[in-house]
Amino acid sequence: MMVSRRSLFLGMAGVAAVAGAGGWAASRVGVQPEPPAPPGQDEAGRLLWRNWSGIQTAYPAQRAAPGSEGELAALVRTAPGPLRAVGSGHSFMPLVPTPGTLVTLDRMTGLISHDKATSTAVAWGGTRLADLGAALAGIGQEMPNLPDINKQSLAGATATGTHGTGATLPALHGNITALRLVTGRGDILDCDVARNAELFQAARLGLGAFGIVTQVTLQNSPLKRVERNVWLQPLEQTLADWPRLHQAHRNIEFYYLPFTDMTAVITHDETDEPATVRPPAQDNEALLDLKKLRDWLGWSPALRRRVARQVMSGLEPERVVDESWRLLSNERPVRFNEMEFHLPLEAQVGALQEVIAAIEGQRNDVFFPIEARIVAPDDAWLSPFQGRMTGSIAVHAYYKDQYDFLYQLVEPIMRRHGGRPHWGKLNSLKRADFAALYPRFNDAAELRRQMDPEGRFLNDYLRGVFADA
Amino acid sequence: MTTPLSVRALRGFLCLAFLGLGACGQKEAPPPDAATIAALRPADPRLAEIYAASCLACHTMADSGAPLTGDGEQWKPRLNKGMSVLLKNVVEGVNGMPAGGQCFACTPEDYTALILFMSQPPR
Ligand SMILES: Cc1cc2nc3c(=O)[nH]c(=O)nc-3n(C[C@H](O)[C@H](O)[C@H](O)COP(=O)(O)OP(=O)(O)OC[C@H]3O[C@@H](n4cnc5c(N)ncnc54)[C@H](O)[C@@H]3O)c2cc1C
Repeated sequence: MMVSRRSLFLGMAGVAAVAGAGGWAASRVGVQPEPPAPPGQDEAGRLLWRNWSGIQTAYPAQRAAPGSEGELAALVRTAPGPLRAVGSGHSFMPLVPTPGTLVTLDRMTGLISHDKATSTAVAWGGTRLADLGAALAGIGQEMPNLPDINKQSLAGATATGTHGTGATLPALHGNITALRLVTGRGDILDCDVARNAELFQAARLGLGAFGIVTQVTLQNSPLKRVERNVWLQPLEQTLADWPRLHQAHRNIEFYYLPFTDMTAVITHDETDEPATVRPPAQDNEALLDLKKLRDWLGWSPALRRRVARQVMSGLEPERVVDESWRLLSNERPVRFNEMEFHLPLEAQVGALQEVIAAIEGQRNDVFFPIEARIVAPDDAWLSPFQGRMTGSIAVHAYYKDQYDFLYQLVEPIMRRHGGRPHWGKLNSLKRADFAALYPRFNDAAELRRQMDPEGRFLNDYLRGVFADA
Repeated sequence: MTTPLSVRALRGFLCLAFLGLGACGQKEAPPPDAATIAALRPADPRLAEIYAASCLACHTMADSGAPLTGDGEQWKPRLNKGMSVLLKNVVEGVNGMPAGGQCFACTPEDYTALILFMSQPPR
């Protein structure tokens, strides 16, 4: 019989509930309130904008949903600045907030054209990844690397270097072969390795600072079915086996479950096996049960560890077969804040061990699994994967919990190991730090200035990133 | 930009306004199946466009935890809070629902019309 992750964690919660009585006073049992919300409107009656996790806010003077490139170009010339493009608002960094104009490409979505022979496709930048997956499947193509969720827009995801996992697979922007954008002057430019080649290298992962990307050409793969396997094993074993594991599987990642010594390993490999029924997702319940374990037993790491291990022992792995785009991304209804750094692959395991030791030594409130992935290099100027095989480490905090420990405990470790931050996720780096991490950073900043001399696309945060020296 | 409320949405609104007074006088419909849920669209073309771009990805996926389009039972406890509370929750975000409901050019009128559409069982 296959034991699902749900039954695993439900059992654990039951034990936790019994064992928790002893530590009541020190536990977090009870309903945690929503973090205070900013007003739904400002004094001028402007509606609130907030990112997915809720920590970034703005009251844009104008919101626009242009239906064509011409309309967008006119908007860029005339609308109150700064103009910030928004995809799905899933970034944790203040990339989108603007008091000026918020631009969504929600009316510029879907496939434009495709070439069966080369497995390439052109899509509108506003297309959400979920819709893109379905549309590509309809023409026999897939993106072989997808992020953990598929709610992002294509242009929004690629603008921050969104990635999935797999030793041979670059991040999403690594498979962009051409793009079209509207510059700060309102010009519409096509870019690829031959046309506006430098702009292409900067704007493929361009933070919405080089222009608003309207069309993206993707190098895809023929549509495949994959077998997904999920199993639990001790951290020690996963770390020792990681070099072999990431060579052996097309997509592979693992989550360390804090205060359990255990990891969940998730692999996807191509197969001709028939599709199986995908059982209802269990991750959400599992996560809430890890939270319960924290709430009840957070006061006693030893007991928390013992109970977790006891319940997890003897579980069998999960196996599902389906098309890749259906399995690689998940639903994440439990909101969180996140920091992710991209390290040289050889530094990943050591850094992870340090992160775990720091969290388990000092932050009993952490319960979100810590995620480790692998990403192939590419050559975009601002790509955190530029020029090196990358091992990524992501640390999450429940959206109702404090997340300052990410800066205090986690970021220094990541930086010491040569980490480059995910552009969309929490980090405190400034221009000088980026200039030190990216050999072409100053070229990118200069090109940005040429494309947008008036700073139409610069909000406060991006001014700090690109501020002209 | 204001949104013309469809007749169905208007009926829904009247039901909502008199919720608890038995004004709708209808029996509980069984929850629609997944295929029916996936196929539901607002009658108004602009709303249908917004719904497809922003709402559908969660409100037709049981795993998302969002109340499903057309499943009156799931919506009832939400509607019972009153439209002003629902609207506040949409704009500010609550639990798994991200602020703005992934529609960043929507007006409060759009949100209201979309809530009414999603909360009504298919006819
Ligand atoms: C639950 C969750 C899971 C995630 N999982 C992953 C993951 O597995 N891997 C990963 O790498 N990241 C992940 N992320 C991070 C996320 O993929 C990135 O932050 C991504 O950029 C968000 O895309 P978006 O469409 O929401 O864009 P937004 O956050 O809205 O915008 C991001 C940037 O893109 C710019 N932009 C948007 N549209 C355009 C356009 N048309 N032209 C130019 N610039 C534009 C914006 O101005 C902004 O600078 C996750 C985030 C969340 C909340």
